[in-house]
Order: sequence, then structure tokens, then C-alpha cells
Amino acid sequence: MSEPTNKASNEPVISLSNITKHYPMADETFYALQNVNLTINANEYVAITGPSGSGKSTLMNILGCLDPASSGEYRLDDQNVASHSEAYLATLRNQAVGFIFQSFNLLPRASVLTNVMQPLVYRLMSGSSRKKMALEALDRVGLSDKVNSLPNQLSGGQRQRVAIARALVTNPAIILGDEPTGNLDSKTTLEIMALFDQLHAQGHTIILVTHEQEIADHCHRVVRLVDGQIESDRLNQRAKPSQETPPQDQTKQVMHG
Amino acid sequence: MGNLLHAIIEGAKAAIQSIFAHAMRSALTTLGIIIGVAAVITVVAVMEGLSSNISKELDDMGSDMVTLRAFTSPDQQMLGLSNKLNYDDFLQLKAKTDGVRDMTATMTAFSLGGSVTYGRKSTQTMITGTDSSYQNVVSTYPEFGRFLSQSDDLRRRRVAIVGTSVIKKLDMPANPVGEFINLSGDWFRIIGVAESRGQMFGFDQDNYIIAPFSTIRSLKGASATDNIDILFRPETDADLKGIQDQMRQILRKRHKLSGDDPDYFEFITAEKTRKQFDSITGSVTFVAAGVVGISLLVGGIGIMNIMLVSVTERTKEIGIAKALGATPQFILSQFLIEALLLSLFGGVIGLLLGYGLAALVGLSMPGAGAVTVPMWAIWLSFGFTTTIGVVFGLAPAVKAAKLNPVDALRYE
Ligand SMILES: Nc1ncnc2c1ncn2[C@@H]1O[C@H](COP(=O)(O)OP(=O)(O)O)[C@@H](O)[C@H]1O
Ligand SMILES: [Mg+2]
Repeated sequence: MSEPTNKASNEPVISLSNITKHYPMADETFYALQNVNLTINANEYVAITGPSGSGKSTLMNILGCLDPASSGEYRLDDQNVASHSEAYLATLRNQAVGFIFQSFNLLPRASVLTNVMQPLVYRLMSGSSRKKMALEALDRVGLSDKVNSLPNQLSGGQRQRVAIARALVTNPAIILGDEPTGNLDSKTTLEIMALFDQLHAQGHTIILVTHEQEIADHCHRVVRLVDGQIESDRLNQRAKPSQETPPQDQTKQVMHG
Repeated sequence: MGNLLHAIIEGAKAAIQSIFAHAMRSALTTLGIIIGVAAVITVVAVMEGLSSNISKELDDMGSDMVTLRAFTSPDQQMLGLSNKLNYDDFLQLKAKTDGVRDMTATMTAFSLGGSVTYGRKSTQTMITGTDSSYQNVVSTYPEFGRFLSQSDDLRRRRVAIVGTSVIKKLDMPANPVGEFINLSGDWFRIIGVAESRGQMFGFDQDNYIIAPFSTIRSLKGASATDNIDILFRPETDADLKGIQDQMRQILRKRHKLSGDDPDYFEFITAEKTRKQFDSITGSVTFVAAGVVGISLLVGGIGIMNIMLVSVTERTKEIGIAKALGATPQFILSQFLIEALLLSLFGGVIGLLLGYGLAALVGLSMPGAGAVTVPMWAIWLSFGFTTTIGVVFGLAPAVKAAKLNPVDALRYE
């Protein structure tokens, strides 16, 4: 359970070469991503930043096997994603990655427990073991007491914890978050970031899209996209877990650094 | 395979939740199916009841009894003609036909108005004149007293046999033999009570009075030219066709009909009655099948429509499911099962409704016989509803399965 991957930390789990994503427009082709090359190793903690419209979500959707690239090669766990059927991609989404969205994307009429069990429905698994695993995941995000609540009875931070538990329940090696704290206030953001720090410490590979500097500061590596291309990709030597450094100071430190 | 079964079970759970989340909408959607299946079940149940009843009636009546009666073709009717069989026709046939065991003439005394009085009570009934052979031809036996004798007819006795309903309606003693009744001014002594024949198609079969043929003919208002029916029963193993041909020759000669003049009479056999009934059953079934076909088509389109609405409404939900690893097959089976269950729910409600309606018809129409829904009709209904659910559920389900996860997630 606490061993999401047995790969050495220098082994690539994600490798993109020459990834391009374009959309046909009225009179020209619009490039949301252009020749993106990116390799991410096991247990890395990566922030993807950049201005709005720079292609961050497009990149995350490709990484999460939700959307195919227009060209280029995406290898996930050393498998060429483009060569697989839609059914196999569904299985990859179910087993290899856990996706967390800015708007939570919970089922509004289903209880917290049902929401967290949902990914397990798509596996051959008995109801009792489904429940057991979902309760474990809810325990990891500190929501054991909200099992039977409905999403609209929870705060934003609690909802995102439910979504994180749902991403964790299949114990995926890679956790992807597309602006996971974008809808949360700064106090709740800190709590959620502490949770990501913890998951990283437990061995998960974490990739978060953000345009907030204080989130990027938590990460060990910051990839900056501008106009669909990687503008910079650098290690953040001073990344510190939120518990140790107050966020205001951390922001200053990185900005000066 | 295991995955598919799993998908089906999970799909069924999700489908049932969704159907009950919109119970009213689901009920309205399946209205076409409900009406179609209810119609099938009602019609089949009533038809089954009727035909088992008529078969029984025909068997009781004696399948070898033949009725010969006047027939007026539509052309003749337009000319204002009305053909009749008379007593001389009967006498000729009785004298000249071979192979007939018993033959009798009956004359319905319409001119008497059908009114009968006993004490202060009076009622309407059917008064028929016939002779002693009637008992053997029709197989009617007296419950009390005796039937008509030859001398009753020869001597024009004012005697009568009454059906059991007449006794009840006139408040007569249970055994009224020896009592007197009044038929339009003439007194008749009751000599017998005919055993009960029950009901057919809700009609009372015991509301009648039989009196000697000659007596009825002699009563005021009745005339020698009144139309009669001739009933006969052939000898065992006799050639019925041959008998009918003999009779036809005799009657045509008597009326001096030439080559292509139509017969002014017709033979009615149990088999013919059964065929007529079957053809009625056939056309009712045909009309019912049309109604059912249209209802089921409308029902199917309703299901397709509501499933398309459902897919659109749940686009976001489908996106979430796909993002979490639901395969296209899983989504497809989930929506297909929902359409199937909707259709089957409609089928079950229709089945219950149809059964209820058939039972109501059975109650309000006692002659309809025992209302039974045959097993094949139930299977047919389920077969139809399953097919409708799958056929009309397929397009929406495919649409859902093919949704692109990113687009679906973006849907608000
Ligand atoms: N389906 C689409 N069709 C056309 N353009 C799209 C589509 N999806 C995204 N884009 C465009 O691609 C660019 C990058 O989008 P996105 O990856 O969502 O940016 P970010 O997440 O960095 O704000 C935007 O300009 C957006 O309008
Ligand atoms: Mg975005």
C-alpha cells in the first residue's frame, strides 16, 4: 500500500518526445503543444507552470491518457500509449495514474464512500474489498468521519480530499493534478499541499499544474510552458515541505533565488 | 468475459438507480410499451377465454346438429325480398331425405310479442314452437315433468316447457309443472322444465318457452307462412354432404329455382360456426397486432429519445467515469441495460395492467369464460420488450460509449 512503485528513482516513468497537439481552426491549425520533450522519473515531484492558455491542461490530459497527442511519442511505464486501444487506455487510466481536477469532478448524488469506490467498480473486485480499500484511502486523506456525506455537504478542501482519495484508491504510481488547489482558499491550499508532500514522501510520482508560485515552491522540479512550448525546466533546490517553512517566506526565498 | 459480466452487474445497478431517480419520467417513457403489452395480454386473455368457452358450447350443443334456415342474399335484400322456409318445406324434407336420424322444425313466435304472465308477474321471453323430435335433435332434457309428445302437437295442446330463467323471473315454484302461464291472452299449462344451459357471451340461454308447433301456428297472429328453422341430426357415419345435396335438390325444385339462382336457404353446422368464430378471432387478433405494433414502435422511440436525453444530461458523469477507467464497453452496457430495464419495466407493468383489464372484462362479461393469460403470450411480451430495449437503446448507448473523455469532462 505504501509502496506505489518499485522502480528506482532515476528510472523514467513518463517520457514525451516531440509531442504536438493541434486543433483545426477556421482558417489555420492552432498548436496547443509544440515539440514537447519531457522525461519524468519515478518519485519526482514536478510543477507545471505557465500563463493561462499555455497548454498546461492539454499536456496533463495527454499524460493522463485522457486525450491522444496529435504527433510524437508518449511512453508511460515504457509502453507506447498511442498504440493502444481505447479499452486499454481506460485500464491505464484506472491503474497507472490517478487524476485530480480543479473542479473536483465528484458525482454529486453519490456519497463520499461511493465516489471513492468508483474507480474500483471498473475492476473485478468484490463490494467488500472495494469498501475496505476506499475506507483506507479516506483514512489517508483524513476524511474517515465523512464517509456517508454527500459532496455538497462538504467544504471545498474536503471535496478535494475526497477526489484525492479517489485518485489514491487504486494505488497508482503517478498522481496528476490539474490546478488541484485552484478553487481553494490559501489555508486549505496549504493543507492540500501538505497532503501531496506526504504522498510524495510515500513514493508516488507527483505532477501538479499550477500558476501559483507558492505551489510550485513545494515541488522539486518546475517546468514552465509558454505558448505550448517548454520555456524552462529546472530543479527547485530550496523546495521545503510546508510544515517547515511558512509559505510567505518560502515565496520570497524562491523569488530571490 | 468476467469483465463483461461484471460490467453488466454494475451497469444494472447504475441503471436501476437512474430509473428510480426519475421514476415519473421513466413511467411516461414506457407508456407506449405499457399500452402495447397491456393490449396484447388483454386481447389474448379474453380471446382465450372466449374460444375455450365457445368450443365447450359447441361440444355441448352436439357437434353433429345442423340448422337449415332461410337465407336472403344481399342482392335480394336490396330488392326488399325476404326468403322463408315453410312447414311444407319441412314435411317434404322429412319425407324424402335419407340418412337423417331426427329432424324438427322450430318457429319463433315473434308475433306473440314474447310476453308471458304468471299471477301478477310478467316478463319477456322467447317463445318457440316445435315438435317432439326437438328433444333428440338438440339434446335438451327435462329437469322436471316431460317434454312435448307427438299427441301434444297433433291435438294442439296448450302446454309448455319453460327454461329455468323463466321460473325465476316469474317467481314460480321450483317445480312449476301443472301451473298455468298466459301467453298474449292464451293460457298454457306447464308440463316440463328444461335443464339449464347456462350462459354464452353473457346471454341467458335459459330464458325461453317451448310449445307445440301446431299450437303456436294456430294462435292468433301467427300465420302458416311464418318462417321456420329446420334442425336435424344425421345418422351416425352418414354422409353429411350427401344429405345436404339431397335437401338442396328438393328445396330448389320446390321453389323452381333454375341453374344460377342462388339458394334461398343455408346450412349451419357446428364446424361452420367454429370457422366463423375463428375468422372473428383472426380479425380481432390482426387489429390488436396492429395496435400493439404501433404502441411498441412508439414505446421504442420514446425509450430512444429519453436515453439520448439521459446521455446528454449525464455527459459530465460519463466523462468522470471514463477518466476513472470505465471502458467504452462498460459505458455501452450500462446504457444498454438501462434501456433494456426501462423496456422490461414497461413490459411488467403492461403485463399486470393487461391481466387486470382481462379480469375486469371477464367479470363484466360472464360468458367470456375463465380469463387465462397463456405462457406464450407472456414470453412473447418479454421477447418484444427485450428486443425493443436493445434495438432502440443501442444508438444512445453507442453515443455515450464513444464520447471523448476530455470533451465530456468539460461539459457543464
Ligand atoms: N478542444 C479544443 N479546441 C480548440 N482549442 C483548444 C481545445 N482545447 C484547448 N484549446 C486551446 O489550447 C490552448 C491551451 O489550452 P489549455 O491546455 O487548456 O491551457 P492552460 O491549461 O494552460 O490554461 C488554449 O488556447 C485553448 O483555447
Ligand atoms: Mg488549464
